[in-house]
Amino acid sequence: MTISTRLKLIPFALILTAATAFAAQPGETSPPQTVSRSAPISESAPVSGSAIGLSDSAGLRATVFGTPPEDMATLPAKVPLSEINIELPWRLPVPGILWFDSKLRVWLSAQNKPAPLAVVISGTGSDGNTKTISVLRAALYGAGYHVLTMPSPTFPGFIVSASHTGVPGDLMQDGADLYAAMQAIIAHLPRKVRVTDIDVLGYSLGGANAAIVKSIDATEQKLKIHRVVMINPPVSLFSSVGRLDRLFAATIGPGDRAVDLLYRRLYAQIANLYRASDRLELDENFLYSAAAVTLKTDAEFSAAIAMTFRLQLVDMFFIGDLYAKTGVITDPAHPPRVGDSLEDIQRDLRAKPFADYFTRVFAPYYLMRRPDATSASLIAANRLDIIADTLRDDGDYYAQTNSNEVIINRRELTWLQDTLGSRIVVYDHGGHLGEVGDRQQVADMLDMLSGHWPRSAP
Amino acid sequence: MRAAILAGIIALALGGCASQVASIRRVPDETPAADNAAAAANAAAFAEAAAAESGNDSAHEAEAHKAQEAAPLLTPADAPPMYTYDPWERLNRFTYRFNARFDEAIFLPAADTYRRAPRPIRAGIHNFFGNLAEIDSIINYTLQWRLKYGLRSLERLAINSTIGIGGLFDVATKLKLPGTPTGFATTLAKWGMHPGPYLVIPLLGPSTLRDGVGYLADYGAGYGINVANLYRGNISWGLLVFNGVDQRANINFRYYSGGSPFEYETIRFLYVRRRLIEDEGLHTKEPAKKAADEIPAGK
Repeated sequence: MTISTRLKLIPFALILTAATAFAAQPGETSPPQTVSRSAPISESAPVSGSAIGLSDSAGLRATVFGTPPEDMATLPAKVPLSEINIELPWRLPVPGILWFDSKLRVWLSAQNKPAPLAVVISGTGSDGNTKTISVLRAALYGAGYHVLTMPSPTFPGFIVSASHTGVPGDLMQDGADLYAAMQAIIAHLPRKVRVTDIDVLGYSLGGANAAIVKSIDATEQKLKIHRVVMINPPVSLFSSVGRLDRLFAATIGPGDRAVDLLYRRLYAQIANLYRASDRLELDENFLYSAAAVTLKTDAEFSAAIAMTFRLQLVDMFFIGDLYAKTGVITDPAHPPRVGDSLEDIQRDLRAKPFADYFTRVFAPYYLMRRPDATSASLIAANRLDIIADTLRDDGDYYAQTNSNEVIINRRELTWLQDTLGSRIVVYDHGGHLGEVGDRQQVADMLDMLSGHWPRSAP
Repeated sequence: MRAAILAGIIALALGGCASQVASIRRVPDETPAADNAAAAANAAAFAEAAAAESGNDSAHEAEAHKAQEAAPLLTPADAPPMYTYDPWERLNRFTYRFNARFDEAIFLPAADTYRRAPRPIRAGIHNFFGNLAEIDSIINYTLQWRLKYGLRSLERLAINSTIGIGGLFDVATKLKLPGTPTGFATTLAKWGMHPGPYLVIPLLGPSTLRDGVGYLADYGAGYGINVANLYRGNISWGLLVFNGVDQRANINFRYYSGGSPFEYETIRFLYVRRRLIEDEGLHTKEPAKKAADEIPAGK
């Protein structure tokens, strides 16, 4: 009868991303590779390699369930938190149906003494207050940093409030948007927050964003960003997403019919579990245990990962098309208005591979504005190797990733190792982000940020 | 006067917050160490339960077999379609938007202020309202003919109203009598009423026609019984507001925090599916009705 019982339904969505125990065993870190200069990754199609990157069974499981609580680093008892809502002057006109996204929302945990500021950038399609962010925030705050957490430039709220184009996915453009937003936010921090130094971190796509932001700052010198740590970064946004498209096709199937089947299977499974239980209410705890029972095989983990990514990208696809006026999803002459049903649009988008966003929205938009560009050059411009020389020569860039990462393949991992040398650590567990928060990851991240990495170095 | 205040609140909600360039708002502290300890305890409890279950597999199988005889297991074909019956969509979307704005401008700031009160005081208030709700639960468990739970609610009411000093302390939960509130919405479901059209209720949020009628009946029952003149006295209005703020402060939900243009669709989908699964739980003894593909969920 209460509102609470009715709103607790939200975690239903978490069935696909549930976080309980049962993850991969923690392992030792593999030694960083020796530095060697290698050629940039070849200019082949954005989609290549295995559909699950380097991942294995344990990697898939860790990606779904995250770091087990018993492996977590010691985190502080209390982290103060404030949310900052900021209106940015370069914001494009806000489409009526996106009225709620007009301000950029970021989060701040401030120390009450002068301290370095750690800016954390979220992963694909996510806001600045995810579960992963929460863990990183706690670890950084506990180590004495002011922590500012920001959404991904692919998050709807960021696209609407802070993008100069409304069409996300271009590493340089997204980096420029982030850099501008960061300056505005830092200028508006409360006066009592005294910042001694600025470092930037990011996980998943946010890792690549963080590196680009520092490279822009190196020329513009407006923030004087000191160090960057990339956590599980992609090397190419479009090849990572292509991999997840293929994972989707392989585990769920093509089209909306497949999504419908997956939904029906999940519904029946959860309903049967619920009937067999003696619970009086379908709550969060029940769903977490249901997730652990329902998700058991590699195929199920893969389906959960693929579906989660797809759902995160649906919003970006829709908004990108709306701003680019490419007419793939909505008619530019008659955009949907407040009060219109979007159910059919959402259903169509769920069935669309993300490669469609590149070919039908992103490429047409940027090709029109960059007369010299080609599809291949747009793909090339979206790889971390556009700043390869900086990554290789500037000792302030660091990375953490896993040997069973889902979003990169062998060639991309080798490229990262060759480029960063001793400044990358590769763990043998965790898949995609399933190592974030464990003792080793946190200790290494803090050493990297404070310039004590590699530990053996004098 | 009351109407004027209400009009003012609504105008403020529709107008949105003050529009300065940057605003900073303190939100509740995070407690990572305690959260992680709780997650570890949860995982341990779950692992223990799983181990116990695999320990007496045969007993479990027999039980499952018995349950299956009572009602065959659902198959994917029995799942309701992904479409939801929502004939009042335009009005619902308007209400949803109003609720989001009201929440941002009034409800959430009030809940944040309330959260600053010392924990024991908040717990006392929460327990007090929970204790009052037991009366409704007793009535409804009786109407649902689930007398075991009705008796538990009765015991809880008796213990908490006396030893718990008018409901301020939840002594019953410590005596292994956990609260499991129910209401007319569940009673109507138990009696076999379909959820009907999706309905977004002003201030309260997602619902269905059946559940909406249920909530109205819950309020009516409280008003009719009027314990200690709390529902019809001079302070009833204030109590209602306090109850609302207390409820809101205990819900971890923020409108449009995902920034998604499809939030209305997503919430509607999740709400109706959750209620339908809970209905399945209520009807374990009767075979589930086969869902026809062309009928949207909820109809």
